[in-house]
Amino acid sequence: MVLLVDAINALREFLDTGGQVLLVIGLVTFLMWLLILERFMFVFGKFRTYRKDLLNSWSSREERNSWNAEQIRQAMISRAGIQLNSNLPYINVMVALCPLLGLLGTVTGMIEVFNVMAITGSGSARSMAAGVSKATIPTMAGMVGALSGVFASTFLQRKAKREVELLEDKLLLDH
Amino acid sequence: MAATLALSSSAFAAEQAMDLDTLLKQLEQGQSAQNAQNAQREAQFKAQQSEQVRMLRELTSNRDGELNRSERLETQFEENEIKLGNLSDTLSKRMGSLKELFGVLQQVAGDSSNKFRTSVVSAEIPNRSAFMDDMAKRMGSSTKLASIEDIEKVWVELQREMTEQGKVSRYTSDVIVAGGTKTQKEVLRVGAFNLIADGKYLSYNPETNTLSELTRQPTARFTQSAAELQSAQSGIVDFALDPTGGSILGLLVQAPNTKEQVEQGGAVGYVILGVGLLALLIALERFVSLMIMGAKINRQLKDSVAREDNPLGRVMKVKEQYPDVAYDTLELKLSEAILREMPKITRNLTLIKIISVVAPLLGLLGTVTGMINTFQAITLFGTGDPKLMAGGISTALVTTVLGLVVAIPTVFLYTLLNTRSRNLLLILQEQSAGIIAERSEKGA
Repeated sequence: MVLLVDAINALREFLDTGGQVLLVIGLVTFLMWLLILERFMFVFGKFRTYRKDLLNSWSSREERNSWNAEQIRQAMISRAGIQLNSNLPYINVMVALCPLLGLLGTVTGMIEVFNVMAITGSGSARSMAAGVSKATIPTMAGMVGALSGVFASTFLQRKAKREVELLEDKLLLDH
Repeated sequence: MAATLALSSSAFAAEQAMDLDTLLKQLEQGQSAQNAQNAQREAQFKAQQSEQVRMLRELTSNRDGELNRSERLETQFEENEIKLGNLSDTLSKRMGSLKELFGVLQQVAGDSSNKFRTSVVSAEIPNRSAFMDDMAKRMGSSTKLASIEDIEKVWVELQREMTEQGKVSRYTSDVIVAGGTKTQKEVLRVGAFNLIADGKYLSYNPETNTLSELTRQPTARFTQSAAELQSAQSGIVDFALDPTGGSILGLLVQAPNTKEQVEQGGAVGYVILGVGLLALLIALERFVSLMIMGAKINRQLKDSVAREDNPLGRVMKVKEQYPDVAYDTLELKLSEAILREMPKITRNLTLIKIISVVAPLLGLLGTVTGMINTFQAITLFGTGDPKLMAGGISTALVTTVLGLVVAIPTVFLYTLLNTRSRNLLLILQEQSAGIIAERSEKGA
């Protein structure tokens, strides 16, 4: 319990030093990982039964040779592709947004530094320290957020592509 | 006239010339009279000389008397000097540690006079620093002694300040509100730190002994705590106080708020905001129309009759229009129909994409122009004033912020819309033929 309170306090302190942008970065990273988890669960869970159903319904067709069969096969693969690729663009865009948000935090922090300078008229390092930490922490947080998502998103993209190719291989036309 | 004047003057000369003898006679007589007068004057001078000698004697004796007196007084002065030295020696010997005490008293009185003048407690209890000033001056002159009453008063005033620092007190006073008018208000003083009235922070001006509302209040989080404190009757209330006694709150007035910061961005800033608004409006329109289109396509997927009101229905209509054509012709007709639908689905999406790319670039442009202005200011006025430089730089950075603020949501919106439109396109491109085939198989 005490550990939890300590952790919450530490987190709050971190957010206070980094400014509001940090909160947004945290939110985006959290959302990104939520989507990544959802994707993993889909790819390794629900999609397997979906693929099995798809293969069954294809193999239970009487004829797999006509124009109709060809078009239906295309439609099946396309639907599977849509399912596999859903949410992936959002994960990608969040990976791209994290550094941008970090940059935003940096610039607002710099503005604060210069505002302090403009008001006090001195280059006192102590009065500018708050702004400087507000400038550097979001960049770091943005980088961490983006890097943590890059690997997962790349893996999911390749997985989706390979699954579609596998489906194309398995749904064979009779010649 | 002139002729008569000349005539009379020549007549006068003749008369004088005639009397030269009498003139000579007169001169002789005059000389004898002069001689008599001179003799008389001589006698007079001789009489006065003796008088002068007598006066000289008198003055000399006078001078001697005064010299004697001066000598006497000088010796007396020296004696007095010695006596005075002895006495002041005795005084300082007897004062001893008291002298140190008075020094301390002077210092304390001076320090606390300054402190009282700027302390917000003086807003409630004025005129405390006048006594302290007077006290410091008296102690500084060192001829006067401090009475016990005075010393005790210093102590009491210090104690009062200390006690008041720990108190939250309410009183009514004149407050200058934002419009410049004076109104009676209930003022709440929190120790020696803050003054609030009506949930607003006040500033205290020691020169005029007046209270005025801060023209720019801190964020709602803090003013709310002030309002809570004012309305509270008892118990413990959270309150945000300024430990510097008003200096930080005073600086607050100088810091620009969000609106002013946006204004600092200048023309480039407004362009960025305008472009962002445009992107937002386009995205909204696209979002609504894609949603409606998607709903209609979904309904069409479940419906067996092809409708005219959605792209999928229109593509499917092609099959009905050409019921007896060969498959490869049908495929051509289908892709033709899909090509017709494509612009409706992907319309304006590229514009949003362009805006999301252009906004940060515009921000960069604003930053660079702002920096140029800053450096021009430096060339004109030199680097002596960091305020000048810092103000320009923060203005320059504002446009970057605006660019990012516009770009981040726009990128997100573009992805959202692009995914939706791509899914719709996939349904048309890859699945329309399949759907038609499924239908015809079912119908057969």
